[in-house]
Amino acid sequence: MRKFLAVVKREYIQRVRTKFFVVATVLGPLIMAGFTVVPALMLGYKSGGPTRLAVVDQTGKMYERVAKELTSGKKPSEEIEDEEPTQPPTGSNNPKEQVDKGGKLFRGSYLVEDVRPNGRPIEDVRRTLEARIQNHELDGYVVLPADLLKEGKAEFRARNTADLFTDSYVASAISRAVRGQRLVDARIDEKSVESASRPIDLKTTGAEGKESKGEVSFYLVFGVGFLIYMTVLLYGQFVLGAVIEEKETRIAEILFSSIRAFPLMLGKLVGVCLVALTQLGIWASAFLIFSAWAAAGSRIALPHIPAMMFVYFAVFFLMGFFIYATVYAVVGSMVTTTQEGGQLALPVVLMLVAGLYLSFNIIRSPNSSLAFWASMFPFFAPITMLVRIVTETPPLWQILLSLGIGIATIAGLVWVASRIYRVGMLMYGKKATIPEVWRWLRQS
Amino acid sequence: MSTRVPTARAVGYRSFAAPRLQHLKLWTTRNRNKDVMEDTKPTLVLDHVSKSFDEFAAVSDLSLQVRAGRVFGLIGPNGAGKTTTIRMIVNITAPDSGRVELFGQTMSTALQDRIGYLPEERGLYKRMKIGEQLRFFAELKDLRGAEAEKRIDVWLKKLDLFSWKEKRTKELSKGMQQKVQFITAVIHDPDLVILDEPFSGLDPVNVELMRDTILEQKAAGKTIILSTHQMEIAEKLCDDVCMINRSHKVLDGKLREIRRSFSRNAVALQFEGGDGLLNDPALVANISQHGDDTEVLLVPGASPQELLRRLVEANAVVTKFELVEPSLHDIFIEKVREAA
Repeated sequence: MRKFLAVVKREYIQRVRTKFFVVATVLGPLIMAGFTVVPALMLGYKSGGPTRLAVVDQTGKMYERVAKELTSGKKPSEEIEDEEPTQPPTGSNNPKEQVDKGGKLFRGSYLVEDVRPNGRPIEDVRRTLEARIQNHELDGYVVLPADLLKEGKAEFRARNTADLFTDSYVASAISRAVRGQRLVDARIDEKSVESASRPIDLKTTGAEGKESKGEVSFYLVFGVGFLIYMTVLLYGQFVLGAVIEEKETRIAEILFSSIRAFPLMLGKLVGVCLVALTQLGIWASAFLIFSAWAAAGSRIALPHIPAMMFVYFAVFFLMGFFIYATVYAVVGSMVTTTQEGGQLALPVVLMLVAGLYLSFNIIRSPNSSLAFWASMFPFFAPITMLVRIVTETPPLWQILLSLGIGIATIAGLVWVASRIYRVGMLMYGKKATIPEVWRWLRQS
Repeated sequence: MSTRVPTARAVGYRSFAAPRLQHLKLWTTRNRNKDVMEDTKPTLVLDHVSKSFDEFAAVSDLSLQVRAGRVFGLIGPNGAGKTTTIRMIVNITAPDSGRVELFGQTMSTALQDRIGYLPEERGLYKRMKIGEQLRFFAELKDLRGAEAEKRIDVWLKKLDLFSWKEKRTKELSKGMQQKVQFITAVIHDPDLVILDEPFSGLDPVNVELMRDTILEQKAAGKTIILSTHQMEIAEKLCDDVCMINRSHKVLDGKLREIRRSFSRNAVALQFEGGDGLLNDPALVANISQHGDDTEVLLVPGASPQELLRRLVEANAVVTKFELVEPSLHDIFIEKVREAA
C-alpha cells in the first residue's frame, strides 16, 4: 500500500508541477470559451463601414418604402413587431444572443442610394453599378423589377454573397416594403394589420417550472459533453505516455523488481486521475467564484448550474477516465514507441468521438431509445449519460444502472489490463500482436 | 581444501535460523559436492528452474546456489538466458517449473525489498531530478524519510554525484546515469545485490570506482550476483561462477577450482642458464615461445614444483615462473565445444 502511494505521489507531483499543467489550467477555460463564443461574436459583428447599397426601382413607387425599411435596422425575425425588441439578458455569453446583438449593429449601417434608370436600358445601369462595385464604391445593389408587386421577385447583387446577414436582411426589408405597398393598394389600413398580426409572446418553461433559456442550456449541455470528452482524452493520453515512457526507458524492469504490476498500474491511473481532478477542481472553483462575483451586481450573468451537476460531472468523469485510461495503459504496454501507441490508440479515441457525436442527437431527444442504449454502453456513457442528465434528467434507476455497468466494466478492464500490462511491459523490441496478448491473458 | 569465507560472517539475515536447517538437508541430499557443503548458508537456491517464452526456451533446468558474502558471476554470451534467470530471481517473472528460494524462503514479493537490482537495460525518469528519483526508488523499497535522505546524500557523495542532485536525468552523461542507477540498487541496503552488466558504458576511472564499490559491498557482507558477458571482468571479481549457454548451465563452481581443473599443467617461464634442462621427455611434453615467455607444457602428472627445483639446481636465473591457468574465456569455449 505504501508503495502504491509512492507511485501515486510521484505521478501526481511530477505532473502538477509541469508548466503544461499550469498553462492548461489557466488557458483551458479561455480556450473553451473561445471555441463557443468567439465564432458567434465574429459572425455577429460586422466590421468596416456601413454597407452601401444602390436600389434600382423600376416600379417607380417602391424606393421610399424599401429605403425606409433598409435603414430601419429591423432584423428579419422582428418583421412584424414595430416596437423595440426586449433587451436580451445583459452580457450573456450565449452566442445566439450575441448574434442578435450583432444584428442590432445593422441599424443605421446601411447607406441606401436611389438609382433611377431614367430611360436607360437596365443592362446599362447594371454595368455602371457593377463597375462601381468593382471599384469598391458600392457593396451591392438591388433591382426592383416593374412587376415586383405582382410577381414578388427582386434581385440582389452583392460583392460578398456569403454574407448571410445582409442577404436575409435585404430580403426581409423588401418583403416588408412590398407587403406595406400591397396593403395600401388593397386599401387596407396598414397600422391595423400590423397590430392584428403582432406575434404572441410564447413563454417557454422547463419541467421544473423555471423559465428555460433554450440556447443557454444547449450550450451548457454541449459544453459539458465537450469538457468531459476533452479531459478524458487528454488525461487518457497522459496515461498512455507515462506507460510508454516506462516501457521505452526500461524503468518497468526496476519497478517490477520492487512492486507488483497491479498496484503499479493502478497507482499510475490514480495519480493521473488526481491531476485531472485537481484541474477540474480549480476550474469549478474559479467558475463558482466568478459566478458569485457576477451575481453580486456585475453585468455578466453566467448560466446557473445546479450543485448536483458538479457531482454528476465528477462521477461520470471518473467513470470515463478509468475506462479509457485503463485501455490506454494496455495499449501503452503493448507497443514500443509513442508513434505505435498513437496508432493503436486510434480506435479508442474514435469510441470517445462517437460518444460525443451521439450526444448531438441525444440533446434533441434525450428520452429516445437511442439515447437510452447509448447511455448504457459504458464506452459512451460518460458523455451520453451526462448529456442526458443535463438536458432532461432521466429516472434515477437509469443513472445508477449506467454507473453500475461502468463500474463493472472498469473492474473487468483493470483485471484484464493488469495481466497484459505485466507481460507487455517486459516485452521489448516489437509490438505485441492480438493473439500474443490473448495468450498472455490466458497464461497469467 | 580450505575455504576463504568465514562461516560466521555477519550477513544481514533477518530470520535465518529456522529455514537454514531445512536448507542444509536439501543440500546434503541434492548436492554431494563436499566443497560446496563447507560453505553453508546459500543465499539463493535455484532448483531445476525452467522458463520458456512461447516455443523459445530461455532457461532450461537450471540449478545453482549462491553463497552468502561472495561475488557470484553469472556468465555467458548475450542471449544465453542470464537476464531471464535474474528476472526470476528478483520475482519479475515466475519460472514455468522449478523453485527459487531466497534467504531460505520461497521467493515472494515480500523478499523483493531485500534485493537490489541493477538491470542491464538502464531506466531512469528523464525529466525527474536525481534526488527525487532516488527518493522514489527508495520508497518503492520501503525506505523513506530522513533515513532515505541521509543515504541518498551519502551515496551521491561517494560516487561523485552530489552536485548533480538537483539536476534532471537528461542533463547527466551516460556514465553518471549508470552510477545513479547503481545507487537505486543499493540505497535500501539489500542483502543481495544483483548487477546486470554493471560496467557497460563506464570510462576506466568509473570502472575502477564501480569495482571498488562492489568489493566494498562484498566486504560489508552482501551477496553479489554479477551478470556479464565480459569474462575478464568476472575473472577479476568473482569468487564463484556459473556459466550458461543457450539456456543451459555449462559449468559452475568456485572460480579458483574451475581454473585449476582446466589447467593444462603449463608454466610460463623467463629464465637464463640451465641449458638443456627442458629436454626431459619425462617432465616436459612441449615447449613453445610466446614473446619473452617460454611456455612449458608438462607431461600429465608431472609437478611444476619439480621443474622449479631443477631450474634452481641448475643455477638458472629465474625471472618469471608462473602457472598458466586458462582464462574463463578459454574454459567457456572449451566447454561449449565439448557440449556441441
